[in-house]
Amino acid sequence: MRLLRPLPTSRRRRGALSPRSGSQRPACGPLFLGNAWTSALPVKPRRPVPNCGSWVLPRLFAVLGIELRTLHLPGDCTLPSMAVPLSPPPPDPQFVLRGTQSAVNALHFCGGAQAQGFPLLFSGSQSGVVHIWSLQTRRAVATLDGHGGQSVTWLQMLPQSPQLLSQGRDLRLCLWDLAEGRNAVVDSVCLESVGFCRSSVLAEGQARWMLAVPGKGTDEVQILEMPSKTSVCTLKPEADAKPGMPMCLRLWQAESSSRPFLLAGYEDGSVALWDVWERKVCSRVSCHEEPVMGLDFDSQRARGVSGSAGKALAVWSLDGQQTLQVCSTHQLTNPGISDVTIRPDRKILATAGWDHRIRVFHWRTMKPLAVLAFHSASVHCVAFATDGVLAAGSKDQRISVWSLYQRT
Amino acid sequence: MAVFDTPQEAFGILRPVCVQLTKSQTVENVEHLQAQLQAVSDAALQELQQYILFPLRFTLKTPGPKRERLVQSVVECLTFVLSSTCVKELELLQELFSELSACLYSPNSQKPAAVSEELKLAVIQGLNTLMHSAYGDIILAFYEPSILPRLGFAVSLLLGLAEQEKSKQIKIAALKCLQVLLFQCDCQDHPRSLDELEQQQLGDLFASFLPGISTALTRVITGDFKQGHSIVVCSLRVFYKTVGFVMADEQLRRISKVRAKPAVEHRIAELMVHREGEWVKNTGDKLVILIKKIIECILVHPHWKVRLELVDLVEDLLLKCSQSLVDSAGPLLKALVGLVNDESPEVQVQCNNVLRHFADQKVVVGNRAFTDILSESLHSLATSLPRLMNSQDDQGKFSTLSLLLGYLKLLGPKINFVFNSVAHLQRLSKALIQVLELDVTDIKIVEERSWNSDDLSASPEGPTTRRGNQVQRRYFRFFTDERVFLLLRQVCRLLGYYGNLYLLVDHFMELYQESVVYRKQAAMILNELVVGAAGLEVEDLHEKHIKTSLEELREIVTSLLEVYTSQENWYLVTCIETEEREELMMKQSDLQAITSGVHTCQIVSFPAFSKPSPTICSMNSNIWQVCIQLEGISRFAYALGKDFRLLLMSALYPVLEKAGDQTLLISQVATSTMVGICVACDYDSLQDLINQNSDYLVNGISLSLRHLSLHPHTSKVLEVMLRNSDATLLPLVADVVQDVLATLDQFYNTRAASFVSVLHALLVALAQWFPETSYTGQPQDQNLKEEGSYLHQTLENNTTAEDIEQFVLGYLKEKDVAEGNVLEFDSDEEELSVPPKLDENDTLPDAEPPLPVQIQIAKDVMERCIHLLSDKNLKIRLKVLDVLGLCVVVLQSHKNQLLPLVHRAWPSLVHRLTNDDPLAVLRAFKVLCTLGGKCGDFLRNRFCKDVLPKLAGSLVTQAPISARAGPVYSHTLAFKLQLAVLQGLGPLSESLELGEGDLNKVADACLIYLSTKQPVKLQEAARRY
Repeated sequence: MRLLRPLPTSRRRRGALSPRSGSQRPACGPLFLGNAWTSALPVKPRRPVPNCGSWVLPRLFAVLGIELRTLHLPGDCTLPSMAVPLSPPPPDPQFVLRGTQSAVNALHFCGGAQAQGFPLLFSGSQSGVVHIWSLQTRRAVATLDGHGGQSVTWLQMLPQSPQLLSQGRDLRLCLWDLAEGRNAVVDSVCLESVGFCRSSVLAEGQARWMLAVPGKGTDEVQILEMPSKTSVCTLKPEADAKPGMPMCLRLWQAESSSRPFLLAGYEDGSVALWDVWERKVCSRVSCHEEPVMGLDFDSQRARGVSGSAGKALAVWSLDGQQTLQVCSTHQLTNPGISDVTIRPDRKILATAGWDHRIRVFHWRTMKPLAVLAFHSASVHCVAFATDGVLAAGSKDQRISVWSLYQRT
Repeated sequence: MAVFDTPQEAFGILRPVCVQLTKSQTVENVEHLQAQLQAVSDAALQELQQYILFPLRFTLKTPGPKRERLVQSVVECLTFVLSSTCVKELELLQELFSELSACLYSPNSQKPAAVSEELKLAVIQGLNTLMHSAYGDIILAFYEPSILPRLGFAVSLLLGLAEQEKSKQIKIAALKCLQVLLFQCDCQDHPRSLDELEQQQLGDLFASFLPGISTALTRVITGDFKQGHSIVVCSLRVFYKTVGFVMADEQLRRISKVRAKPAVEHRIAELMVHREGEWVKNTGDKLVILIKKIIECILVHPHWKVRLELVDLVEDLLLKCSQSLVDSAGPLLKALVGLVNDESPEVQVQCNNVLRHFADQKVVVGNRAFTDILSESLHSLATSLPRLMNSQDDQGKFSTLSLLLGYLKLLGPKINFVFNSVAHLQRLSKALIQVLELDVTDIKIVEERSWNSDDLSASPEGPTTRRGNQVQRRYFRFFTDERVFLLLRQVCRLLGYYGNLYLLVDHFMELYQESVVYRKQAAMILNELVVGAAGLEVEDLHEKHIKTSLEELREIVTSLLEVYTSQENWYLVTCIETEEREELMMKQSDLQAITSGVHTCQIVSFPAFSKPSPTICSMNSNIWQVCIQLEGISRFAYALGKDFRLLLMSALYPVLEKAGDQTLLISQVATSTMVGICVACDYDSLQDLINQNSDYLVNGISLSLRHLSLHPHTSKVLEVMLRNSDATLLPLVADVVQDVLATLDQFYNTRAASFVSVLHALLVALAQWFPETSYTGQPQDQNLKEEGSYLHQTLENNTTAEDIEQFVLGYLKEKDVAEGNVLEFDSDEEELSVPPKLDENDTLPDAEPPLPVQIQIAKDVMERCIHLLSDKNLKIRLKVLDVLGLCVVVLQSHKNQLLPLVHRAWPSLVHRLTNDDPLAVLRAFKVLCTLGGKCGDFLRNRFCKDVLPKLAGSLVTQAPISARAGPVYSHTLAFKLQLAVLQGLGPLSESLELGEGDLNKVADACLIYLSTKQPVKLQEAARRY
């Protein structure tokens, strides 16, 4: 098995490989890293811990100062066991969820009190069905079908209440009540944009929350106050800016103030910071050549990251004057990032790649830590659970769940 | 019936007789008196007691030698009077007592007088009756210190009789009498229980006799087994009653330190004993010796009643004298515990009752000293266990282990405290591990192969019928008796039940990790610990014991499972490396195809056995290791019940993997493990189990496929899964098939063989799940399938006469079946002639519907087949041809997909038909026949152009050879080929609708075979054409 040899992306993308080329084809296997990253290989990858599937990254441990899980190591060297392969096997997902029957577009973890001990995972599929997975039994416990067969693009649990928001391409944003085993749509918002832009929620309190959705005009973003569904404002860029459609949204609020801001990634590759109350753009930075596909923001460090259809990952920061500045960009081997997510503890981030791979970076230093190869089609979304478990949904209809390490 | 009710009447009758007796003391007179007495009522007799007694006592007291016969009849008469009356005066009692005991007194020797046995018996009875007839108050007054010398004489007399007499009757009577004398009679005539003070007085009195009684009785008890059990039983009873009375804690507690001044004369006072601490200690020390002697002797006593009495002895002494006899507690408990598993059920029951009683009373648990004693005994037993196991015979081992089990039972919840001491835990665990050592020199286990890998699906019977009957016996180094193993198992379960499970599991896990030498035993113990902790099949003596919580148990099981199924503990070398074997198989494969259909399970002798590593022993050991771990999984399931379902996501895949193992034992054990899981988790059948958890399996398969070099058996799991599931699984299968094909694409060179067999299983499954309505009537299809499924199970060494014979037999059988099938299929065809697919196409003329999943899979597989058709390895080529045939069957209704593929496959198929090994030709011809049936028109031209000339040519050239050949020819490959071609050509040319010219060619080729010189079968085949 030749491991570290990358494939030309064109061939890899083709999907179904012609078997005629099979015998000559270089065995690609799941890659650890692209060639640009070879220097950043984990120092000493180890065998996966059987059954728990957690792939431990020593480098990560070194960086993060996290203790290794105690493992049962073989005590006796004399035991006859199978020949240990020279190259360590690539990391495996902890497990894989199958059965969505169509591409997975959105993922969201629900942990804590609402899940009664065991976290649940929501997945939204191309066929418009939301599956609720129990991570304990690794099986779907329920399905929510409310988008008339149109793709579900975004899922979000409301904080402190057992309600789920799902955005579908049937121009509806549904609010589901999941308390006590119910699964009924209790409310819905009509959307006016059919694009792929995912919405964003900012909870201000138990009963009031703010929702940012793509607006009626192609370049507009609409802010709604929920649950009353009253429109707060419409954020429309100045006439001369022409950023194109909003591609991804992120509402946030500094801890010190109650002033809501909106980060929006646009079709022209720029990221803009909107002051929602004043309805104006505070700052805009152009960080990608291609449309921004996903962004995430760390409000504590005032730093964000965005991925685009191009080959770069951009990190930008926000200074005291609310100005966005590009800190750095990171070149990727293969173009196309469909989602970027920072882990809740703000230590690592994961990207969903069109090249079927999930990439993991160290958030502070942006050092590449791992490339997780499992899927056989582009990865559409990545999500982190509060306990650090990573899930990735892909066009190949599978959801892979990875345990990069269990938080101590 | 009494005739004379009033004393007056009675007196009238009795007076002359008494007078007569007083005058002349003869036996006749005494007997006359006794006869008269019969007629007197008890009340009257009581009135006249003194009067009647007088002549009798007078007779006894008359000085000078007396005839024994007379004395005897007097004593008997006396006894009769006493039995119907009661003695109300102390003086009379004392005098009678002395007079009776004096009857057996011989002045010149220590021993009882040498008189007849009848007299002895009479005297003993008399004494017995006397003691019973004494009035309640009188008797207490009788036992005062002043009687001590006389009582002592009687006691020693009785002991002497019990010890030295020959007659069993006398011995027993003496012992019974002794019991009465010592106030321990268990008959109903003593209604009044003694108060504390009285007890203490009696205790003080009897203490003087204790040494004598106990030593003499010990001698009786430890005497010859032949003396009869009732004597020993009686002696034991007297022994423990006496000891239990004199040494009772209750009495001793109240004994004051200072000796009270006895109100008796000095001489008697000297005989008295003061039971203060020092005396108790000394006596205790001496009694230990006696008790040990007794126990040692009685434990092996052949009669169960004796052993039963011992149980009572232990109970009595431990309950009454736990403090005074603290040193004896060890041996006593040991005896009790040892008797728990006595062969007699009565003893067992009694023992268990006593143990339960002890547990209820918290005799052991509440008593620190006992706990210490027990843990000490446990420790020393554990220390000597390995030695004992080495030296004893199976019976001895059995009782030793019973003892161990009994200790643990008695300790109950206290086990926890005992094992807090590291020394104790280590001793015991080491002992268990040594005892459980397996004998791993048996070669057979390594040799036996399971070729029959589909027995899982072939057995429709329920899980219960399959249980247990096939599990291989394990051979232990130190014992052979199965009961010993069961005992050991019980020991482990008890440990798990009472002990701190975390501590124990941790400890044994350490041993498991420590060395490969301990691993199997530790795993065995761990398995049983878990079962025990769940409280299953454990005899619980201590009712209120709190079990390990289910939550904890689940955690422990999870971590154990993790260790068991980890890479280094699960994938052990159990046979010669796969690659080597495959090479071997390749060499032998040329023969394999001939015998396809013949179901053999031959043991292949591996030349590699001579290699130094891995040795047979280590492989055998590994096999057992895996088996024990498999069994463990089944035990865990048993312990957790339905809760185990959650763990199936990690456990089922490894088990299924082992179910497909080549080593017979492993696959058997794995199968029974699955049955166990089925039962525990409440699944209907193995199929149900696999079906319901196929998502977990698919997950495992797809992850393992990523590391094929580490998990070379992945394909087997998929095979097993496919065989045992149904069409509902298709979406999942489709998913994993993509992985399989992708992996196959990576490993065309190295692992094609195993993948091809997966593909074969897959296609067989697809063909079953989606039977085509226009299923062909050709026998070849059926043949093909059957042979295909046998293909990988049969492996031949070389051509021997038997093989060929077997082959022919099998072949003939198969042929019959095939011919039978022809008829069946013909009728089927008529019934199901309308393909439903056509309707769908009619309703949706424009949109091209997406292909059904199974068609897509078959298409993908067929594409791979086209490439693999030209594989270097003949065996793979043969298998691929099978798969190809199945693909065609599955794809037959989707001509749009099938025909392009056939077009691409054609050149390579032709190559197989024309330029390959005869085996491949044969197989390819069968595929051709299938193809002919499915897409006749499409093939006609190609067939006529590429294949027919060659086939006809070879038929023609072979004809003279077969015509000349002898009878052996019908066993050759060439013959088989000829036959197949001749048989196949007919239907083939029919389905291809060959033109006249081509038909002529075929006919010409066949005509030759109608010659009488040809073998009969060929003639038949040609004729049928």
